[in-house]
Amino acid sequence: MTAPARRPPPLRADGFPERAVRERARLGAGAVFPRRADYGRALFGATGQPPAADQPPADRLDLARLVPPVFMPERLEKLIELAREPLHTDVDLGTDVGGFRSALPLYLSAFGSTQVASADLGTAASRQAGALGIPMVIGENVVPVNGYGRLAATAGRGLIDRIRAYAGAVPDGLGGVAVQQSTEDADAEVWNLVYSDPTALPLLDSGRLAFELKVGQGAKPGLGGMTLVGEPTAARLAEHFALEGVYGPAATTVLRCASPGTFTDEILRQQIRLMRNNFPRARVWVKLPPGRDVRSAAQVAWAAGADAVTVDGAEGGTGWAPSAFLAGVGLPLAECLRRIGTPAGCLLVSGRVWEGLRAVKCLALGARATGLGRAALIAVDEDARSGLARLVACLALETRLLISALGKYRPGALSAEDLWWADTGQAEPAALPAAVGGG
Amino acid sequence: MPTTVDTALPPSPRAHLSSPITRAALRVQHEVLAAAREYLTGQGCVELLLPVIGPVTDPGARGAKQVDVDYYGHRYKLMTSAILYKQASLIAFERFFTIAPNVRLEPLETSSTSRHLAEFHQIDVELAGASRDDAMTIAEGTVRHIVRRTTERAGAELATLGRDTGAFVDLLSGNAFERRTHAAAVADLHELGHPQSPDAEIDWAGEAVLSAKASRPFFLTDYPKGSRGFYDKESRERPGQLRNFDLLAAEGFGELCSGGEREHDYGTIIARMRETGENPAKYGWYLTLVREGIPASAGFGLGLQRLTRYVTGLDHVWQTTGYPKVPGMVAP
Repeated sequence: MTAPARRPPPLRADGFPERAVRERARLGAGAVFPRRADYGRALFGATGQPPAADQPPADRLDLARLVPPVFMPERLEKLIELAREPLHTDVDLGTDVGGFRSALPLYLSAFGSTQVASADLGTAASRQAGALGIPMVIGENVVPVNGYGRLAATAGRGLIDRIRAYAGAVPDGLGGVAVQQSTEDADAEVWNLVYSDPTALPLLDSGRLAFELKVGQGAKPGLGGMTLVGEPTAARLAEHFALEGVYGPAATTVLRCASPGTFTDEILRQQIRLMRNNFPRARVWVKLPPGRDVRSAAQVAWAAGADAVTVDGAEGGTGWAPSAFLAGVGLPLAECLRRIGTPAGCLLVSGRVWEGLRAVKCLALGARATGLGRAALIAVDEDARSGLARLVACLALETRLLISALGKYRPGALSAEDLWWADTGQAEPAALPAAVGGG
Repeated sequence: MPTTVDTALPPSPRAHLSSPITRAALRVQHEVLAAAREYLTGQGCVELLLPVIGPVTDPGARGAKQVDVDYYGHRYKLMTSAILYKQASLIAFERFFTIAPNVRLEPLETSSTSRHLAEFHQIDVELAGASRDDAMTIAEGTVRHIVRRTTERAGAELATLGRDTGAFVDLLSGNAFERRTHAAAVADLHELGHPQSPDAEIDWAGEAVLSAKASRPFFLTDYPKGSRGFYDKESRERPGQLRNFDLLAAEGFGELCSGGEREHDYGTIIARMRETGENPAKYGWYLTLVREGIPASAGFGLGLQRLTRYVTGLDHVWQTTGYPKVPGMVAP
């Protein structure tokens, strides 16, 4: 008798509104409202709670409120254009994301070591992101340093399957793929590998390939990538990575640490220029950690010609990180956005985004699009065929409702005036004391 | 003037090797090599043979992939250029040259430029204590001597190939090759309506445009940092500019040669490696030598097949090699 195939245990995301994300991945757009069965039977009103009632507010961004005005000159403009009263369905969510045309102000973030654990989730997420016409970032961990061959042999199935799944589903003229490379990945030459590989050629030829320079990440700013590897892999990686037996001599797994890479303003500027020089047909994205000088770093990146700067708030990240870093290292997303101010280029942000309210707040604070990381992984874990598409349907509906409520009809029209900060009672977030502010 | 975009591809090995065009081109190439050796030996250079594989190679090839080799379980590289060994070899000889095979898996779009091969050779020269001017003078002398000797010794082959040697009158006149800065070339291209980033190398189409307007080879100097590898020395007087050069052929044949003064200071090289996105850890053997001290130098690499194409006036660089590997094409 053959044993039934066992499904791997479901993905967990402690401290993340996992239940609400799974519900949306199951139910689709209807999940943006209270339970249908309660319609006409229960009384509804403000709860003062964030959208996922089982979660406390993550940061000040959750405390801020969107505040529609009474007078709406932009709604009048839309009324004149349409010759009828506008609705939320008239909001055009199409936008330029780092040089790509995207159907929504959204992109699929890179997954950390979780992706290593489950390549199938990554492929499922890629297919759905492609079908949605939103850009996708493929993370550094997808390409191990070993191997002597081309993309298929070196990268294993992770990278190539994800590019194929995405390219096979994406509509013409929409979306794009950004392939990450960190300092240590430079040894594996991920970008050169992709740039000259036939798999990526259709994306390259249609202007839908980007390379993302990974300067750092949200979950562990100041550190490089970390994964746990078993002994056979450890022996193979020993030449290239620092390995630490943090679980004691008897354990079969060890911690693999990649170096974070050294950056100064000149190093960042020149690396971006070299990317533009060496890969003239690819877009250039730069991913920054939530560092205290995030504003200067973003400005250097844009001035050097980056098509997008991605900022991961300290609450972002899907990967393995020391608890101390998750608890108390790095700026929260709200503070990153405040420090950056009006962006001088395309700003993409991620960090606990899974529903429209937080996404629209980010857009109002200057972001061009928000990234789905953990939320996307949970959604495809819930339903590999349509989980992400349903989660995004919820997010898109909410985004349209919220933007139209503000009397606006495209994401780019949002601005800081659309927010009210509950903790300061002002339209602008509180300034930090001079000693710790700036950046 | 040669065509810049062409879909013509090499025929079968037998058809190619038995073609009178291939035979004439390879005969011309023989004279090119003989003349290069003659001239460089006369300049006091020793001919060395440098490694084909090593733990690390030149990362500065734009957009090209390196080829990995399994060296007893260690990941080695085929040389994309000999630059690291050129700097190291100055410990043995102050002036030398080498005919170096290079392999670069160029981006697929280069298959139609008529001047890219995945496997090619360079006439590499390195001179201890030399300045950029010294290296440019030697590069100019090398090219002029090669063209003179080849037109003298391979006249019949050039006639077979239909090359009008009148095209070399200006080159052989003794007039020095013009020297133009990268910034001036960018301005020229903008004036001609060609979009060119001021922070990047002159793109292939731009090189062809500039080259087509010239009647003898010319130098472009002072490339911006961010367009070249870590070993091209940065100007102390003008930070952000490199003390380097390219030599472009006349008649639209494009780039023949790259060179410049080299960084040899340990700390500067480490910082420049980071600026070019490199992880210094993999350059262990090279950095150990640099830390202990290597001579200041300048040098260049002159593309053998590209130079042969210029001398012969052939449409495609693949016509100048017996076993052409056009980027992306599977060939023996």
